Amino acid sequence: MTQEQMPSPLISARNIWLAKAQGWILENVSLDIAADDFVTLVGPNGAGKSVLLRTLLQLQQPTRGTVQHANGLRIGYVPEKIAIGSAMPLDVERFLRLNSKISAPQYTELVGETGIDHLLSRPLAALSGGELQRVLLARALACDPQLLILDEPAQNLDVNGQLHLYKLIEQLYEKRKMAVLMVSHDLHLVMSSTRKVVCLYHHICCSGAPENVARDPEFISLFGDDMARLMAVYPHSHEHDHEHHHDYDHEEPQA
Amino acid sequence: MTSAIIIAAGALALMAGPIGCFVVWRRMAYFGDGLAHSALLGVALGMIAGAGHQSGILFVAILFALGMIGLRGQNLLANDTLLGILAHATLAVGLVSMSLMGMEEIDMHDFLLGDLAAITMNGALLLALAAAVTIAVLMKLWPGLVLMTTSEELAFAEGISVRRHEFMLILLMSLLVATSIQIVGVLLITSLLIIPASTARLFANSPEKMAIFGIIAAALSLFGGILVAQNLAIEAGPTIVTLSVVLFLLALIVQPVLQRLGQQA
Repeated sequence: MTQEQMPSPLISARNIWLAKAQGWILENVSLDIAADDFVTLVGPNGAGKSVLLRTLLQLQQPTRGTVQHANGLRIGYVPEKIAIGSAMPLDVERFLRLNSKISAPQYTELVGETGIDHLLSRPLAALSGGELQRVLLARALACDPQLLILDEPAQNLDVNGQLHLYKLIEQLYEKRKMAVLMVSHDLHLVMSSTRKVVCLYHHICCSGAPENVARDPEFISLFGDDMARLMAVYPHSHEHDHEHHHDYDHEEPQA
Repeated sequence: MTSAIIIAAGALALMAGPIGCFVVWRRMAYFGDGLAHSALLGVALGMIAGAGHQSGILFVAILFALGMIGLRGQNLLANDTLLGILAHATLAVGLVSMSLMGMEEIDMHDFLLGDLAAITMNGALLLALAAAVTIAVLMKLWPGLVLMTTSEELAFAEGISVRRHEFMLILLMSLLVATSIQIVGVLLITSLLIIPASTARLFANSPEKMAIFGIIAAALSLFGGILVAQNLAIEAGPTIVTLSVVLFLLALIVQPVLQRLGQQA
């Protein structure tokens, strides 16, 4: 999907191979993240999604291949989970200010953006899943990132919480003009904001606009017809004129 | 109480408070035990090399930590199994070496349970130096250490060298073990790390306060325990630990009462 005159990407991964005990977890993966991308990484469990994310973040060295970051790239990272136990007394405000040189106006802005004003004095360990994700999101935004990377951010949320979180991520994407790279199982929920879907099963099976990926035979064989149809229910918001074939059951209750 | 003992106990409290917090937060209690067990091998090696037991303990403790970091990557055996193998190997080899060298039982007993009378002014000043280094390093690395305790990935992604921070923490633990064995002994050193920190947790609402309250709880246990032990002419190490447990139990009772009063006010 890259155009010839496009500026150099924020992250450029070339021919990544990564060995695990049982063979290759990543096989010849190449991926560019451009400055205004919204990329959702999908794939079955054990497909190597988190490993790819860690490799792109340079948390993990690939066995072969290269990962290049643009000069001075600022990445905001929302990990899948954090290890905070109740043994450490740490409230939200202290956590947000930990090791960061964030100014007072910036701080007020991101607290407002993520809607966590009422959580600031609460202990981190006492937050619900949705509250914790918002706090982690706020922390990731503190560095004014050019790229926001999220690893299954809605994993432990109920459907309502998932919808709210994805909506928030989309709002932040529009407002802050940053790129977003996200691992998500809830493809049907992120359809409207995602510009590009990358389907990973050790190698990149298919990638492109969500509605195209949904028709790809490899995608259908990995996720089944149901997911492909589900994706078609939530068309890409920027292509409303796109023709859809509604040859499935509309009555089926979803999300 | 001689001035050497006062300096030594004060320095030990300064180290045990904050390092104990990390032991509690990062679930390193068993690691601390293993490190302490390795101290006996360090004592033996220090004697063989004629370098004194403290440098021997520090040397073995660092090897122990490096060995643990090196072995952790493999996924055949669980970390606590590896830790157990390392800890008991160093303990057993240490005891065998000490026996072979003809160290009398009473010496071993001192290292296992601590011997206050053995503390010289030089030993106390060494502890004070270790405490100064520990506090300086912790203050410099504090935000990174706290952040990586909540999430190593997050810390790494934000540019903190997690491996270096972790190694420095282990180095400080080794320093603590090497310099304090004489007061509390191999068998009880971990308790001086985890019990005051646990007492502090009950009253703290920030990581920094927990570290400071930990210092206070450790100091109360150390000074109180030494006084009681000297008056009753009993072992100092176990007395110190007993007192720290009493403080913890008191805190368990007092803390809910204080909280209720605070809510009413």
